[in-house]
Amino acid sequence: MPVTKVLTEGIGEVDLRSIEVYRKRGGYEQWKRALSSLKPEEVMEYADKSGLRGRGGAGFPTGKKWSFLPKNGKPRYLVCNSDEAEPGTFKDRMLIENVPHLVLEGMLLGAYGIGSHHAFIYIRGEFKDGYQVFARALDEARAAGFVGKNILSSGYDLEVTVHRGAGAYICGEETALLNSLEGKRGEPRLKPPFPAVEGLYGMPTVVNNVETLAYLVPVLARGWEWFAGAGTERSKGFKIVSVSGHVQRPGNYEVPLGTPVRELLDLAGGLRPGRTLKAIQPGGGSSACIFEEQLDLPYDYESLAKAGTMLGSGAVVVFDDTTDFVKAAYNLVRFFSHESCGQCTPCREGGHWLERVLERFVDGRGLRGDLDMMHRVSATITGINLCPLGDSIEPFLKSVLNRFPEQFEARIA
Amino acid sequence: MNERQEQFPALLERLRPECEKIIAQYENPRSALLPIMQLFQEHEGFVSSEAMRAASEMLGVTPAVVESTVSFYTLLYRRPVGKYTVQVCRGLACTINGAEDVMRAFHEKLGVGHLETTPDGLVSYEEVECLAACDRATCAQVNLEFVYDLEPKRVDGMVTAMRTGAYAVAPRAQTEAPGRTWSLPRLGEVARGGRSAGAIGTESPDNAGGVGDEPGIIMLDRIVERGPSFYGATRERAVQEARDVVAVIEEEEGEGARAGH
Amino acid sequence: MKLTVDGVELEVPKGTLLVEAARKVKQEIPIYCYHTKLGPAGLCRVCLVEIEGMPKLQIACNTQVTDGMVVRTRSEKADAGRAMVIELLLANHPLDCPICDKGGECDLQDYAMAYGRGMSDVVDPKERKPKAVDLGPTIVLDEERCVVCQRCVRFDDIIVRDAQLVVKDRGHRDIIATATGAPYRHYFTGNVTELCPVGALTSKTYRFKSRPWDLRRTQTSCTQCSVGCRQFVDVRYGKIMRTMTVAEDEAISDGWLCDRGRYNIGFYESPERLTQPLYKSDGRFIQIGWDDAFDLWATALRKAAARPASIGAIGGGRLTNEEAYVLQHLFRSLGTKNLDWRAGRQRQATPGARAGSIAEIETMQAILIAGEEPAELAPVFDLRIRKAVLRNGARVIHASDAARTLAELGSGVERAALIWDGVDLDLGRVLHERLAVIPNLRTYIVSEQPNARGAEAMGMLPEAGGRDTAAMLDDALAVISLFGVNPVRNAPASFGAREALERTPFVVVSELFMTQTAELATLILPATGAFEKSGTTTSFAGDLLSLTPSLQAPEGTLADLEMLVGLARALRIELPSREEVEAAVAQRATLPAEFGFGDVRYGKSYGDEGAPPRRLFSGGGTCLHDERIAVLVDSAEVPA
Repeated sequence: MPVTKVLTEGIGEVDLRSIEVYRKRGGYEQWKRALSSLKPEEVMEYADKSGLRGRGGAGFPTGKKWSFLPKNGKPRYLVCNSDEAEPGTFKDRMLIENVPHLVLEGMLLGAYGIGSHHAFIYIRGEFKDGYQVFARALDEARAAGFVGKNILSSGYDLEVTVHRGAGAYICGEETALLNSLEGKRGEPRLKPPFPAVEGLYGMPTVVNNVETLAYLVPVLARGWEWFAGAGTERSKGFKIVSVSGHVQRPGNYEVPLGTPVRELLDLAGGLRPGRTLKAIQPGGGSSACIFEEQLDLPYDYESLAKAGTMLGSGAVVVFDDTTDFVKAAYNLVRFFSHESCGQCTPCREGGHWLERVLERFVDGRGLRGDLDMMHRVSATITGINLCPLGDSIEPFLKSVLNRFPEQFEARIA
Repeated sequence: MNERQEQFPALLERLRPECEKIIAQYENPRSALLPIMQLFQEHEGFVSSEAMRAASEMLGVTPAVVESTVSFYTLLYRRPVGKYTVQVCRGLACTINGAEDVMRAFHEKLGVGHLETTPDGLVSYEEVECLAACDRATCAQVNLEFVYDLEPKRVDGMVTAMRTGAYAVAPRAQTEAPGRTWSLPRLGEVARGGRSAGAIGTESPDNAGGVGDEPGIIMLDRIVERGPSFYGATRERAVQEARDVVAVIEEEEGEGARAGH
Repeated sequence: MKLTVDGVELEVPKGTLLVEAARKVKQEIPIYCYHTKLGPAGLCRVCLVEIEGMPKLQIACNTQVTDGMVVRTRSEKADAGRAMVIELLLANHPLDCPICDKGGECDLQDYAMAYGRGMSDVVDPKERKPKAVDLGPTIVLDEERCVVCQRCVRFDDIIVRDAQLVVKDRGHRDIIATATGAPYRHYFTGNVTELCPVGALTSKTYRFKSRPWDLRRTQTSCTQCSVGCRQFVDVRYGKIMRTMTVAEDEAISDGWLCDRGRYNIGFYESPERLTQPLYKSDGRFIQIGWDDAFDLWATALRKAAARPASIGAIGGGRLTNEEAYVLQHLFRSLGTKNLDWRAGRQRQATPGARAGSIAEIETMQAILIAGEEPAELAPVFDLRIRKAVLRNGARVIHASDAARTLAELGSGVERAALIWDGVDLDLGRVLHERLAVIPNLRTYIVSEQPNARGAEAMGMLPEAGGRDTAAMLDDALAVISLFGVNPVRNAPASFGAREALERTPFVVVSELFMTQTAELATLILPATGAFEKSGTTTSFAGDLLSLTPSLQAPEGTLADLEMLVGLARALRIELPSREEVEAAVAQRATLPAEFGFGDVRYGKSYGDEGAPPRRLFSGGGTCLHDERIAVLVDSAEVPA
């Protein structure tokens, strides 16, 4: 079974939260190397050639994202997105709680690569432990001279600020995160301009996910060829997949991209005894389900996209035959409605409308016209929203409406 | 003025150096808004209006902006809450793994529901979105500390421990007794201005007639401005149509109808 | 940039937003959150269009046109998206159009008719939110009708720079609100009622008063201050209902109105209006007819004319240019040189050779303010100052001392504006001289009377050998005629206006109301107000503005011009013809350029001791006669 331990290496075995332990295992060596012998462009080259794609959900190539920064002499910012809240996803929390130094080193490398002198990490407000662990790690790194002014006498200054969220899923969207970091309501910004041009404080900014930045460390240590050698043609390298739901051993599993979904299911111990598989949501709450007949799909960006769903944040939720899909649909639609920032009409009103209708279904008070209406409304609001949140309502709802119509029809009064 | 309010100026002075340290971390002071509100909440148990006013002054934004920002985030409470905030995950992975049974157990044990505080002010109970611990479903947080693999049978012991002070997680600061819910009632939230300027009573209209454009032109111009896509109207045609309609009405109803309008 | 909108080709400059480009070919793209002055926000999503080569529908409000762009505002896909947005906006919007003030001029109504499905699948009850929320002294909010376009929020933030209205809560629970317990109160609140595309924000003064189809609309100029914003006056069956902005008024108002200009209109219908000439006999006013009034006035003047220096006239700042011109002409015909418009603290109204235009202030790097805040005297002009600060980073410097101001200004400032209230002549003179080093200095004098600059230009200033207001009051003339001025209230204490008028044998006052000055009159002439007459006025920046009557004047009142005509007839003096007056006004519209700040011809300063504070809602007695806005009037100004 292709379990690979890259970022997850040592977790559960040693206490990597301590800087001594981390350093003993080669920690901060890449940061030292970058400062002493790599130009920022070379770090950028590693990111680019490794084929590393954003691990937060959108899967945008990291090197390409960095290359959008205009060369206008303005200060640049790197922001590490640790506002993990996509339903079913729990990998970033594991990383900052267990390997904070790895995350920090990745941030330092990323910031250096784009020429930033101030990096921020935005940690979800609920992650009190993660915040404390990371803040302690940052103190240790600062004391060891890895953060601050003239780092290791290289002449390079880099400050890192830890910023806590305060309870809002939408702050995971990068422009909402920037607004929140600026002390505003976490409302996504109108694009263009994109953060690469006008981001934090109106300056060029890169927002990268925790996992993405952490992978920079092994990419530099083992070479981009090593990373690009794993995975598939367009989905290179590894991915931490959070498997949960109706499986025997839910947890985070780090695998090369392209690993068949069936193997992920096996890694997580398979279904509980006597149960049969009904559906799998392969990429977080915003993704459409795949079904039994699709278990051989390779778990990578393209294959899932071709199958009409997505890899997203890498959250695999497994549903067996005990699942009430009406309730599940209601659960996710309510989630998106609750987390809508309220700025734009389709998401604010559409999500709320669907939530109320599904609430009726859960109570067995559905109406015949509601099914057509749900199809029509969820489809039409997709693609006309200010940010991706509103577009996230349709995929799961549509896939279960289509697959399990009898469950919905049974709730029609 | 209650005790908390009396002590607020002292608290503010005590926290000011820390606030300034937070502000110094950012290129723009306003970035310190959430951290400062979190700091005050740590000390007062909730984000008081005094704390919001203080932040508004420290950061140079209007009080309305501070309140608007704070109201966006679910972890900032604008009303007092219990010494323990119990937040059970209602995410999908937890829900299909028995979260509802855990919730029911809490409802029964605490005697309160979602977004409510026990009458003794000890526990505020809430059902929250995915907490990112799906591998340990059902999960919850007590004062933001994770509780994993929660089952209904553990609820009794947890609540009892909170009541007897034996619970492993430290209680939150509580400087004011919480109400039934910290979720704000809408009507109480909106501003009540000074005495209403009101509208004077409608007097019986006379027919003196203004010297302005013809009645109906305001609507007409709105339509015509909108160009050909809007009913294909032209101003001239529409004016004529409007005149015709008015003429018919006046003919039919006579002057009396107009006077009594 | 060439593009095609619904098959129509057009060319627009680079950077033009699609929504604006479409307007040029009269192809409407519906909008709620977008507003020309507020820019794109991308919130309502109703402006969806289909652009060739783009898979998703795009919002026209945040799309800059590109060369060769082919746009379809109406296509099956665009129509479906738009209809969905409207259906969603209506999902929780109350269908209370029959009792909604916006009915008939509501964007939601109009677009629902034009682009909506005409039906809805919503079967669940609509969300309940607070209705008739008292936001403050001027505005009422209906949360249920709100479509959260945030125009009002952005207006407060971007235009007023005082974010009082904000969005609270999140998602479908969003509400518009102020800080808890704080009333919505600044000088420009009324604009949000016009920005609001639905009936969520309404003016207390207009709620439930009228329907747009019952209103007769007139465009005129505001005369509440020296800015002179264009405004619409909407009248229903002879009663004034509301005033509204004129969006196209780029030169003066930039499309905004202040609350004084918008709301201080109720006085026209005040029962306290003077509607009959009054003659004081044995210390009591008796009602007389106009013919008797003209006879008494003419007789007094004729008697005094033997010694012309014992005759004087004060006024013009509240008159039209035409009236001011005829006023000075008539009194000069009587041989007097005692003419002055100044009846308060201001000494000068014409800003000289380097006078700037109102719009020009937006381009300044530094704005120097000497004397009273423009926000109090010329509020809508102050919005331009705020714009200069926000858009161009202009610095605002309070200039009470020339040396310190220059030091603060530093070097490298190419474009600066000097805004003065015309009170302290010495300060004005010194600042003007010292600041002349700035290459592009523009000068402004914001006046305390709306047509001060016009009155000055028309010749209501004492010529050599004549007396100014202070001297006229000091000497106690035989006959003094006052037009729309109230020196007893507004002049500095050193004028001793009350005592002087008590000593003057014959005092004529033309007024709307029984002011402190009118009480001392021998003869009171009831005048018509600005909405009741036609003519022109001059803005503080020299723009010639036209007044068009929108109301019928109350029976028994006369316009000041008619009074002067009546007086001339009684005196058998021939007045210039209408054409001659119009020509003279056009020619004199601006004073000769050489008048610098603090020119000696303006005489000396009198200070301002004893004069009441000049705040937007204090001066001018009309505020006190408008019960609907009583709450806005500074409490110190309300008579005990």
